[in-house]
Amino acid sequence: MVHNREKGPRVRYRVLIIIPAYNEAETVAGVINHLHQEAPDCDIVVIDDGSQDDTAKVVASLDGVELIVLPYNLGIGGAMQTGFKYAFRNGYDIAVQCDADGQHPPEQVQLLVQHVEKGTADLIIGSRYVAASSYTPSMPRRVGKSILSRLIDALIGSGITDTTSGFRAVNRKALSLFARHYPEDYPEPETLVILHKAGLKAAEVPVEMRPRLGGATSINPKNAAYYMVKVGLAIFVDAFRKFTHTAEEP
Amino acid sequence: MEGTQQFGFQTAHRIGLLVLSILLLALVLELVRRGRLKERYALLWLAAAGASFLIGIFPVLIEKLATVFQVQYLTVFYGVSFLFLIGIVLGFSVIISRLSERNRELAQELALLAHRVKHLEKRDDRDSQSIDSDSSRSE
Repeated sequence: MVHNREKGPRVRYRVLIIIPAYNEAETVAGVINHLHQEAPDCDIVVIDDGSQDDTAKVVASLDGVELIVLPYNLGIGGAMQTGFKYAFRNGYDIAVQCDADGQHPPEQVQLLVQHVEKGTADLIIGSRYVAASSYTPSMPRRVGKSILSRLIDALIGSGITDTTSGFRAVNRKALSLFARHYPEDYPEPETLVILHKAGLKAAEVPVEMRPRLGGATSINPKNAAYYMVKVGLAIFVDAFRKFTHTAEEP
Repeated sequence: MEGTQQFGFQTAHRIGLLVLSILLLALVLELVRRGRLKERYALLWLAAAGASFLIGIFPVLIEKLATVFQVQYLTVFYGVSFLFLIGIVLGFSVIISRLSERNRELAQELALLAHRVKHLEKRDDRDSQSIDSDSSRSE
């Protein structure tokens, strides 16, 4: 398929936007509509992670979006991996992760995709901390995240500042890796280590995030400590594991 | 000598151990018979029952260890039981982890297949129309 995106004919990349959704009935339709406007060339799949509310019903009533319903809640990692498996098996070249709560700006999806197309890196993170962003998380969150980011930076020397951002795009190599290996909960920081161990590269571009439109954050002070310890252990252990990205069936 | 005496098994303890091991044996066999316990896990507990039965009959096994470590035989007995339990619990954690991993894969496959079936049914329903299929390119 040839497509005139810029000057001259070029191969059109098939892009899939993966929206993991757990009890996001209020906001998911708005996000999808917005994505249709801002990224009309991209296919969209919503992974309903065993929601108890009407998320699946709302999505099923919309046009131009695929819906995959998990039989029970697997957590964000299990949901995202389902999306990567879907992307891999259906021959997508690029997959974008976009949250259903409206935090991730649909108008910047194309920016991430362009960077992946250009080959800037195998995974592009929409970062909240690099310049152009006015995102200010709460104090403990900021401290926790900066410790994590430093730990990861020390491990893999990535220079990535926003390791927890879930607004990301990956190329086929990285999505084949994630279809195979993806952490269960709080996956974002660990995926960078897995990526690095598989010999792939990550880069970040600044994006402007907004406050979530509805729903609740998955990280509260109560489980912040568990979060740190779990992710810390996971990336420590990953340092001694092997990961491969292939074109085989995961 | 007073020192060696405390390493010797008391008769009451031996009898208690024999009774307990027989009870454990009976319980495990009954659970297997009712299908509540899988044979592969029952073997572990049968081995435990067998080991404590043997110790009850031949206390010298424990007494030797007690002499070597210069502790009371009961301490040795508790130590061995503790290690055994740690081993079993760790083994169970591994088994649970494996089960939850498989569980996750199963749920994902189920969801992906359900989605595909729906798609195929839809395509069947209106097969005169050409639908932009999501699998056409990967084939």
